[in-house]
Amino acid sequence: MANADVHHSSTFAPVNIAVIKYWGKRDTALNLPTNSSLSVTLSQDDLRTHTTASCSLKFAKDELVLNGEGQDISGARTQACLRELRGLRKEVEAKDSSVPKLSGMALKIISENNFPTAAGLASSAAGFAALVRAIADLYALPSPPAELSRIARQGSGSACRSLFGGYVAWKMGAEKDGSDSAAYEVAAASHWPDMRALILVASAEKKDVSSTAGMQATVKTSELFTHRAQHVVPARMTAMEECIKNRDFATFADLTMKDSNNFHATCLDTSPPIFNMNDTSHAARGEGDMRYTFDAGPNAVVYYLAETEAQVAGIFRNIVGDKTGWDNSRGRAIQAGEVPKGMEIAAEMLEKGVSRVILTAVGDGPRRTEEHLC
Amino acid sequence: MANADVHRSSTFAPVNIAVIKYWGKRDTALNLPTNSSLSITLSQDDLRTHTTASCSLKYTRDALVLNGEDQDISGARTQACLRELRGLRKEVEAKDGSVPELSGMALKIVSENNFPTAAGLASSAAGFAALVRAIADLYALPSPPAELSRIARQGSGSACRSLFGGYVAWKMGEETDGSDSAAYEVAPAQHWPDMRALILVASAEKKDVSSTVGMQATVKTSERFAHRAENIVPARMAATEECVKSRDFATFADLTMRDSNNFHATCLDTSPPIFYMNDTSRAAVRVCEAINTHAGRTICAYTFDAGPNAVVYYLAETEAQVAGAFRGIVGHKTGWDNSRGRAIQAGEVPKGMEIAAEMLENGVSRVILTAVGDGPRRTEEHLC
Repeated sequence: MANADVHHSSTFAPVNIAVIKYWGKRDTALNLPTNSSLSVTLSQDDLRTHTTASCSLKFAKDELVLNGEGQDISGARTQACLRELRGLRKEVEAKDSSVPKLSGMALKIISENNFPTAAGLASSAAGFAALVRAIADLYALPSPPAELSRIARQGSGSACRSLFGGYVAWKMGAEKDGSDSAAYEVAAASHWPDMRALILVASAEKKDVSSTAGMQATVKTSELFTHRAQHVVPARMTAMEECIKNRDFATFADLTMKDSNNFHATCLDTSPPIFNMNDTSHAARGEGDMRYTFDAGPNAVVYYLAETEAQVAGIFRNIVGDKTGWDNSRGRAIQAGEVPKGMEIAAEMLEKGVSRVILTAVGDGPRRTEEHLC
Repeated sequence: MANADVHRSSTFAPVNIAVIKYWGKRDTALNLPTNSSLSITLSQDDLRTHTTASCSLKYTRDALVLNGEDQDISGARTQACLRELRGLRKEVEAKDGSVPELSGMALKIVSENNFPTAAGLASSAAGFAALVRAIADLYALPSPPAELSRIARQGSGSACRSLFGGYVAWKMGEETDGSDSAAYEVAPAQHWPDMRALILVASAEKKDVSSTVGMQATVKTSERFAHRAENIVPARMAATEECVKSRDFATFADLTMRDSNNFHATCLDTSPPIFYMNDTSRAAVRVCEAINTHAGRTICAYTFDAGPNAVVYYLAETEAQVAGAFRGIVGHKTGWDNSRGRAIQAGEVPKGMEIAAEMLENGVSRVILTAVGDGPRRTEEHLC
């Protein structure tokens, strides 16, 4: 008789923002990158994807719901993840016939983000990391995080970094089958816990050009791209891992800003050009302790250390203190500080173009929860 | 007895807009560039600097007036031009004792632009070209345009290209004294006379970062700059000269757009980064792309100098699709009410361009319609 049990497992997974950027694939099917990348995992207290993976004999077919809307689960990316995970579950079932044959059941995956999707806030990273983690937990897989990272990578490249907390590198790998292209932890969040991030959400509109299409246009048409991938990034990866180990913020910050600019310069050098930053983004860069980085969208992520919160976050509180995002325990600790001289026009532009702020810090990797969405 | 005669000569000199960009100097004193560049000289009917160079024994010292305001003439750049020109005049006077000793007289130079200064509309190019040309005419120098180009280059690099009409290249040269760094004509305007340009003036405010400061920051801090200068530009120069000679607009346009983006990418890769393009600029790019997509072939090309103004190149035969599309978006701005504008009907806004159109509507202050044109020309209209 059919067992109508619903098996489920839920997880929270984090967003990560790269400081050495991933842009360009050497294999589009397996999401193998043209250069390594490095990111900071952000705290799930502030930004997270909450995903419940469930399976049951009574489910008719695989289903994925994101923020209340049905999603196409037939895409190659999602299918690659499901296929790999089911394969690993089959191995578990082959070794122990007493466990339920979950691999044969249809999956229902429900996911909710507490931040805007597809606007450069690293939503596919958190999303695929959550999906892979939740299903891996559902299936009780013995796989180590590196293996799950490799699977998540096939869903969305940068997702492989969201399987870890703290400071995370994604080694580009050399193998054609991608078996050596996965993320690893450079340092745990607890190694350098006073890293803070302030996100200026410039626009919650969808991106102009999707990352997937854009990066391959760059690979194909930018003459500066190869130089970035082969020369600029490898040196920066090494330097960045060093500064994280040494907690050298000044160098970390310098490399972060340079790499953000270098990445965006490559986008501009693409035919047709990709513009991720707008005038609001440009206004966010400033002098002194502000260390910005931008992903494939106009939102600014400003990194700083807790000890300089008054100077850094305080300035932004003065400029955009009336926007959503300050009314929480992090925000309440921040007083509005003085706006630096000469920043009046930039301040006005931020005031107009920023819709909300998100205050956060470095955080841990995915964590299991008993809160289920279905 | 002192002769109170005022000797004078006037010239109109053109603006030029580069399609392969100059950015970066290998010698800041002599304005020697890190790569060659190529430009189109625009018609003086629409954009020009009008300069009168005069000298007289009754003048007490050199003076320069631009758009009615006194300028500092003591700067190294202007002094370099004056010194070289006076030196050449001295040679003329040494050979012929009957000519007036103009080289010893103070100069008064009055200049007027009919376009905004220092906002990326190539004003220093036109200005120094006019200054050099006017003084050379005043001094009746036998120097060929290449020599005057070399002198103008020391005033403002891109000025060397404004000594010529049509399609002009500035060979970067190798000599440390800059003797081989000057412009030359790739083809005259009448070789390809139906080249048109539409300029969207995004803002007449002063630039964020001056070219001189900006380009050296790029040379110093951009890791990809050297690659542009050594590898990318030389190939593009050769290819662009080919397209001009064979009148191949589609390839010309593609190279133009790529080089503009590559140049601005280098600016973005500078520490601190330089942003010359703004949201209005980017909207102009999107509209150009839509025009080309709609036409099924490349019929227009955008390019941006060190400022937010878009220059859109197209051929006269596609004026309705290109200029017409922009007329449909910014038709009520200043600049359409002249003989060029009257020939252009407002066309449809390309599909999907509603947001870009709105951004252009908000950010464009005026348009300038022009075409490829000739080099400096003498005039008897004097400003002083």
